[in-house]
Amino acid sequence: MIPILEINALYKNFGGLEALKDITFNIDRGDIIGLIGPNGAGKTTLFNCVAGIEKPTAGRIILTHGDRTLSIGGKKPEAVTGLGIARTFQNIRLFDNLTVIDNVKIGRHCRTRSVFFGAVIRSKFQQAEEKAISESAYQFLEFVGLKGRGQEIARSMAYGDQRRLEIARALATEPQLLMLDEPAAGMNPQESRDLMDLIRRIRDNGITVLLIEHDMKVVMGVCERVVVINHGEWLAEGLPQDVQNNPKVIEAYLGTGAANAA
Amino acid sequence: MGKLEPRNLTRGAKLRIGLLILALILPFLPFVTDYQLHIVILIFLYMILALGLNIVPGFNGLLDLGYVGFYGIGAYTSGLLTYHFGLSYWVIIPLAFMNGAIWGILLGAPTLRLTGDYFAIVTFGFSELVVLFLTNEIWLTRGPLGLPGIDVVSIDLTLFGGPKWEFIGELPYYYLAIVMVLITVFVMYRIQDSRLGRAWFAIRDDEVAAVSCGINLLAYKVIAFAISAAFGAVGGSFFARWMTFLSPDMFKFWESFLILCMIVLGGMGNIWGVMIGAVILVSMSEILRELLPLLGLPADVRFLAFGLIMVLMMRFRPAGMLPIAAVAAQMRAGRTKRRKTKPAMGIKK
Repeated sequence: MIPILEINALYKNFGGLEALKDITFNIDRGDIIGLIGPNGAGKTTLFNCVAGIEKPTAGRIILTHGDRTLSIGGKKPEAVTGLGIARTFQNIRLFDNLTVIDNVKIGRHCRTRSVFFGAVIRSKFQQAEEKAISESAYQFLEFVGLKGRGQEIARSMAYGDQRRLEIARALATEPQLLMLDEPAAGMNPQESRDLMDLIRRIRDNGITVLLIEHDMKVVMGVCERVVVINHGEWLAEGLPQDVQNNPKVIEAYLGTGAANAA
Repeated sequence: MGKLEPRNLTRGAKLRIGLLILALILPFLPFVTDYQLHIVILIFLYMILALGLNIVPGFNGLLDLGYVGFYGIGAYTSGLLTYHFGLSYWVIIPLAFMNGAIWGILLGAPTLRLTGDYFAIVTFGFSELVVLFLTNEIWLTRGPLGLPGIDVVSIDLTLFGGPKWEFIGELPYYYLAIVMVLITVFVMYRIQDSRLGRAWFAIRDDEVAAVSCGINLLAYKVIAFAISAAFGAVGGSFFARWMTFLSPDMFKFWESFLILCMIVLGGMGNIWGVMIGAVILVSMSEILRELLPLLGLPADVRFLAFGLIMVLMMRFRPAGMLPIAAVAAQMRAGRTKRRKTKPAMGIKK
C-alpha cells in the first residue's frame, strides 16, 4: 500500500538547536496514528514542518495526492492546505471574534473561488458558491456536534467546544490528512471519550488522522499505530501496547532506571 | 422585482430610510445656506475616503498612514486628464479607480510582507513621496503653482442631440456625492458579507490560523490595499472636479491622520461608525475654524483639539463610538496582557 505521507530523513535546526534529527516514518492511508514523546521532543515542530509553517533544514516530506506523489517540504502553508493537509493547534487558534459559522466558512476558503467582483456583483456563480459554503459549513458543525450553535461568538464557547470547532474548521478544508495537536488537552473524561468517538468517525469518512497527544487513555483508545520521538529523534514505532511496554519509551518518559522498576 | 413591505421594516432600516430622506431634502430646507451645503459635501467626501481606508486597518488590522497618497493620485489623475484631454468625469471615475488600485498593488506587493509598525512607516513614506512628486515634477503637475481651472462635472448629451448640463453651484455636487457614498456603502456591505470579507477578518484575527485555512496572506492583503487605494483615488477624483483647483499641499500627511482619526473615533471596522466619525470630525473642524478666531486663537489650534479628543477616546472608549467585537477585544488585550501571544517566528516568507 502506498503511504499517504512519507517523512524521510527530516532535519530541522533552530540556530544551534537540533529540533529534529533524521526522522523517518510513513503514514498509511486510513490510519489513526499517534505521535507521542516527552515535552520538547519536537512533535509540534514536526507538525509545523509538514504544515509548511516551518521550512525543514533537510530531508523530504512526500505526499501522495491522487495518483501522484509530490514533495511538500518547504511549500507554503496555504499551498499545503490546498493539497489536503489540515491541522489544529496546541493552543487553540480560532478566529475568536467571529461567529462559529464564519469560522467554519473560512475553512472553506481554499475550496472556493469568488473574490472582489463576485462579491460586489453577486453573480450567479458567487451566489451558488455562497449557498454551498453555508450548507457545507452547517454540515461540518453538525458532524462535530455543534449543531444549532452557529451564531455564537467563538471566544464565548466552552473550551471543549472550541476544540471541536477547530476540528470542524480543519475538516471544512476537505483534507486527506488531518493533524491534531493535543486535541484532548484540558478535556474532562467524558469530553475525551466524545473526542475519541469523533476521531473514529473522521477516519470512517476516509480521512487519515495524525495526532499528538499526552493523554495516554486517548492514545491507547483510538490510535492504531504510535510513533515515539524523543529529543528530536525517532525512538520507537508500533502498536500502542507494544510501544507502551517498550523499555526505551518508558525510559524516555520516566528517566533511566524506571524501565527496570516497571 | 420584489414587493415592498414597509410594515416589516426593522428599527435600523427605518433609521436608514429616514436619514436618506433627510439627506435628499436637506438642500431645500429654508435655513440651509450654500456654505453649509459645501460642508455637507465635504462630509460625504470624507465618508468615501474613511470607508475606503477602513478596509486596511478596520477589516485587515494593518495600520496605513499613507492613505492620502492615493487620494492625491486620484485627484491629480482626474485633474490632469480633464486639463489635458478634457475627459468626461464619468470616464474618469473608473480610470481613477483603476489608477488607485494599480498604485495600491505597486506599493502593497513589495511592502505587505512587513508586519505592524514597519508597514505603517513605509506607507507614511509613500504619502510623503507623493507630495514631493507633486511638488517637484513641475512639467507634469505645475508643482506648487497648483492646477487651476479644472472643468466642472457635466452631463453631456450633445452626442445624442441632447443638451449639456454643467454642474454649477453646490447642489448637483451634493447629489453626486450622495450617490457616490451610497455606492461605496453598498460595496462595503457586499464585501463584508462575502468570502473576501471573511478572509480579511480571518487575517485580522489570527494570521497563522488564516494561512492554515488556505488563505494566501500576501495576496489578500494586496487585494485589500488595492481596493482601499481605489476608493481613495475615486474620492480624490471627485475632489478635483468639485474644487476645480489642486495643489500639492492639499495632500499632506495630516489628511491621512485626520481620516484615520475618523475611523478610530467612529469604531474601526464598523461601516456606520466610520461614517459617523467623518460627520463629527469634519463638522467639528469647520465649527472650530469659525470659533477659534473669536477666542483670539489661530484656526490651526483645532488640530490640538483633535489631539485632545483622540487622547480622551483612547482613555474612555478605545474601540470607538460604535465598536465591533474584534477591535474591542484587541483593545482590552492591549490594556492588560496579550491573551494570545503570537509566536515570534510566525510565518516566514
